[in-house]
Amino acid sequence: MMGERVRKLTGYAIGFASMFVLWHLAAVYVVDSVLFPPPGRVLVKAWELARDGVLGRQIAISMQRILIGFAGGSAIGIPVGLAIGSFGSVRRVLEPYTEFFRFIPATAMITVAVIWFGIGEGSKIFLIIYTTVFVVIVNTAAGVGAVAPNKIRAAQSLGASRGQIFLYVALPATVPYILTGMRAAMGNSFITIIAAELIAANAGLGKMIWDARLFMLVDQIFVALVMLGLLGFLTDRLFRWAIYAFAGRYSPVT
Amino acid sequence: MAGGGARVALVRLSGVSKVFRSLQGKEYVALRDLDLEIEAGEFFCLLGTSGCGKTTVLNLVAGFERPSTGRIEIGGRAIEGPGADRGVVFQGDDSLYSWLSALANIEFGMRMRGVERGERRARARHYLELVGLDGQDSKHPPELSGGMKQRIQIARVLANEPEILLMDEPFGALDAQTRSVMQQELLKIWRATRKTVLFITHDIDEAIVLATRIGVMQAGPGSRLKGVVPVELEVAERDRTADRFIAVYRRVHAMIREELAVAMRRSA
Repeated sequence: MMGERVRKLTGYAIGFASMFVLWHLAAVYVVDSVLFPPPGRVLVKAWELARDGVLGRQIAISMQRILIGFAGGSAIGIPVGLAIGSFGSVRRVLEPYTEFFRFIPATAMITVAVIWFGIGEGSKIFLIIYTTVFVVIVNTAAGVGAVAPNKIRAAQSLGASRGQIFLYVALPATVPYILTGMRAAMGNSFITIIAAELIAANAGLGKMIWDARLFMLVDQIFVALVMLGLLGFLTDRLFRWAIYAFAGRYSPVT
Repeated sequence: MAGGGARVALVRLSGVSKVFRSLQGKEYVALRDLDLEIEAGEFFCLLGTSGCGKTTVLNLVAGFERPSTGRIEIGGRAIEGPGADRGVVFQGDDSLYSWLSALANIEFGMRMRGVERGERRARARHYLELVGLDGQDSKHPPELSGGMKQRIQIARVLANEPEILLMDEPFGALDAQTRSVMQQELLKIWRATRKTVLFITHDIDEAIVLATRIGVMQAGPGSRLKGVVPVELEVAERDRTADRFIAVYRRVHAMIREELAVAMRRSA
């Protein structure tokens, strides 16, 4: 158990270290241009921006938009997905919506969102909700559909009512699917928020990249890029951990 | 074995037919005019070759399926759907709740029916011990072996105190050794509780080890009961090498062989 953990962490450490080494080699010896800063310079820049509070503020703004939109999208998507998965009539009515909108990417909605909700928080949160909700719906509904029929039948024969079967059987059996959908939605949220902030925003990591571009502050662009990778990696780890923590018990098929 | 006195039919199927319709609209007659009576307190094994509709019979009694024609009753009342008076043990382990502990799985039915917490804990523990799982109460199904999972299923159903146990090839997925152990354990539990059991199997040995009566099914489609063989064996004779066991085996085997021949001719 412990050895497994050490091996995993060592692997990660080597992987990340090699990434920075390669980056350094490429920047210093291969490209050798101010347009491709080595990690050391980016780190110094990151430190400066962090010290001034700029970096923390931009990260906080972007993450806040993601978290609010993501929470809202999940809060809408989970019940709707459960309803679609549970009732054929609901599925038939709502499936056209999900099947239609999930092919219109959130990035295509940016201009409309800004026209409707302005350049501030409203449009960003709308876009994150939009990019979250359909993935969560589709995964949740699939999860309900994947509940083993014998789990339902057993509950019926043990005297459970329809409501109880939903609450105590279908819902917990669907948890791993819901989490998987949310994990995918979190990935989408990162893509969407940066695209939205690049195109129209007054703050955030995407705006930081855009502003840096105007003044050719390549170091600053790289700081934002590294931060995105780091934040995405960490939130995804968090989800993976949650899925593993639940999956032992909530796995639909074992 | 089935004590003296008047025999009472607990479950009665009369003139039951079941027709399935495929997506293409093709009809398949699984059962035609089936009559079957299961007496209170007996261990009834329904034996048949694959595709004879024995699982369909169980699903009808459980209320998972509705008969196309005919009538199915338990204790004189018509069966309208699944109910807590008929506990089902499934072949696979996918009916267990993997997010609940072994004990919570056993408590599930009582929890749904509003049995007070202390009482249902105590009763669940009693049945956990009865099926030989003491000390495994906090384990989750994915952590348990195939045999242990079937024990949980049996305890879960017994703890709910149904009038009849419906068992659909519950040991079919187990290895031969575990299977044999489980048969003996089930027999012990049955002797202790005298619950009525409807047990589906295609294994002649298993039927003779367990049953007080064996109902042999005709080959499908459109099957009904070919005949019923009483198994009047003492405990010591429920052994594959006992002379009287072999005598019953010959008789049942002859019936099964006839049906296999019919099935072969039909598929030829």
